[in-house]
Amino acid sequence: MTDSEIIRLILNGDRQIFRIFVEKYQAMVFRTCMGFVHNKDDADDLTQEIFIQVFQSLKGFKGEAAFSTWIYRITVNASLNKVRKKSGNQLLYRLDKLFGTPREKENSLPASNNENPESLLIKQENEKWVQNALDSLPENQRTAIILSKYDDLSQKEIAEIMKTTEGAVEALIQRAKTNLRKKLSFSFKEKRKTPQEK
Amino acid sequence: MNCQLCQKELDAYSEGKLPDDMKIQVQEHLQHCKDCAEIYNLQLLTQKIINEEKVISPDPYLTTNIMAQIENPEVTDYKFISPFTRVLRPAMIITSLAASIFLGIMIGNIYKPSARVLPRPVELALIDDVAIEAVNVLSNE
Repeated sequence: MTDSEIIRLILNGDRQIFRIFVEKYQAMVFRTCMGFVHNKDDADDLTQEIFIQVFQSLKGFKGEAAFSTWIYRITVNASLNKVRKKSGNQLLYRLDKLFGTPREKENSLPASNNENPESLLIKQENEKWVQNALDSLPENQRTAIILSKYDDLSQKEIAEIMKTTEGAVEALIQRAKTNLRKKLSFSFKEKRKTPQEK
Repeated sequence: MNCQLCQKELDAYSEGKLPDDMKIQVQEHLQHCKDCAEIYNLQLLTQKIINEEKVISPDPYLTTNIMAQIENPEVTDYKFISPFTRVLRPAMIITSLAASIFLGIMIGNIYKPSARVLPRPVELALIDDVAIEAVNVLSNE
């Protein structure tokens, strides 16, 4: 059954068949969300919100682009909104961290059981570095690099999702890589400095 | 090979897309250039972290949770808001805000200062403050 046939059935009232879309595109949406939020729980919640949004907007799908491209667009927009909201809540989060109950390593990846505390700490620090460097990129550069690195999409596919040209996507990815490199080497040099040098 | 060229080729090098001769040149440069080697290591670290995030799977109950919400019409049905309501609601808010400001100004204008406040005597107005001697002149110092 093709995507357009499934859409037709859903619009005719068969809600159950939406499960096919969820199963088909779940991993793709979740992976992209992970690229933006770097946290499994947030990515799960966001994926859920995105599928509900997709369901609600199905009437608006005109079929001009592939259904997957359309889902990617919704995913990118919802993820960027989530990240914007999250950065707006940073002050509240810091206050909560200061006065409230400590939350466990919110943005870290699941740790394996056989890692010693020191290597775990270094690993978490490195993750934080890379995630911060990625998050500090301008939105269009971040979107391009996430779609390229997390979803392994071609420049043509990214250009379709971002409604731009392949050349522009190439330039965005190059700039993102250069910025990422600069930010990471800067924070690496900062880290290496002794307290006296700081 | 200089640092600029090496750094330009690092992506292709880490992805194994460089031709053999170029690959050897980058390898040799990385062996003796500390800065480029550091950048290369950071690049590898970034890729490693991205790969770790990529393999995380979503919640196994995610599909069930989504479908439970989809099957609940209260959550997923598009609530139609008529254009009339869409325009009327902000218009009502703006009108009530303007009415409150207008009312505030009107109340302010109605207020008159109390009649018990005595007018300033004319003699007091004639006192020249500048001519009054400074306090330190009057003190013992």
